[in-house]
Amino acid sequence: MATPIQKRILILIFASAVIPTSLAVVALYYLIFNLMAWQIGIPEAIAYNLIPVVQKVNLIISITIPIALLLIWFIALELSHRIAGPLFRLEKELDERITGKTSGVDIKLRKKDELKTLVGKINKLINK
Amino acid sequence: MTKAGLKTLVILFAVISVLLFCSFAFANRITKWFGFDKENALTEWEEKIFKGRVLYSVKIESINGYLTAYSKNAASGILYRLRFNPKDQPFASWKWKVIKFPDKKEGVYSKSSWIEKDDYAARFYVIFPSLIFTNIKTLEYVWDRNLPEGAIITSPYFKNIKIIVAESGEKNLGNWVYEKRNIYEDFKKAFGRKPREVGAIAIMTDTDNTLSTAEANYDEIKVGYKNEKE
Repeated sequence: MATPIQKRILILIFASAVIPTSLAVVALYYLIFNLMAWQIGIPEAIAYNLIPVVQKVNLIISITIPIALLLIWFIALELSHRIAGPLFRLEKELDERITGKTSGVDIKLRKKDELKTLVGKINKLINK
Repeated sequence: MTKAGLKTLVILFAVISVLLFCSFAFANRITKWFGFDKENALTEWEEKIFKGRVLYSVKIESINGYLTAYSKNAASGILYRLRFNPKDQPFASWKWKVIKFPDKKEGVYSKSSWIEKDDYAARFYVIFPSLIFTNIKTLEYVWDRNLPEGAIITSPYFKNIKIIVAESGEKNLGNWVYEKRNIYEDFKKAFGRKPREVGAIAIMTDTDNTLSTAEANYDEIKVGYKNEKE
């Protein structure tokens, strides 16, 4: 079950990947097609040449966007685990040391976790 | 940022804003007239090829010139970009002469495939651009041999192209005919709403669907005016 901090990190990573990408894609989409339409000029030619392309692009986008969003979500989830996991662990271990349940043992993190340097320094401080 | 830098930036922004405003205001008041009286009169027009190339050229007789268009199994147009508000400057006028209509075989097309008949000896376009290109709207004034004068039909290519039959039949074949249209009113009639700015006008004589030939002349195109004196 995700902790509040993990939820916040997850949303932050997801939003920071999706929002700028979406804005760039939408801007490029309209810029490219509007410029092409402007260049083609003759309305029948726009309708005949450009609109079928737009329809195909829309179809491809409607299929790929859910897949891309799902992929970004899983990557964000994995990253949030790696950041929020050590924070949760660190808080729990420090609580145990403050209350005297544990003492003198290093705080250990998982292989792919972030914040290893910080936890290493805390370990040195504990063992001093 | 220093105060002086900020002041410079504000002044620069103000100058750019004034220039932009002036350019828009000036652009919106332009009335354009095309007499085709010079050999190089077509240089300010852009050629737009749809299917094959129609021969557009300026012919000058004594001092007066006109535009000729000859199409053989082709569809291409010439386009001129301009900007004006049709509410304030609603009129567009031109002279055209059809020398030969495209050969449309009556009764051999199904109703659903009337794209095969979408060729006209003479077309005059008024194009209303939009931020989203699928919302570009077009009024297309045509001279057709069979369609009744005054008819407004939707193009088989796109619902935002409305074809208005400005001239019909062969009674004036080979003669110059003057057309004057209120594009603001025509737009309201065709689309059921008020138009935005006009972004371009174009001319086309095409025969790509009927695979035949057509020939027409155009002259004295005037757009974006309210009174004859303008």
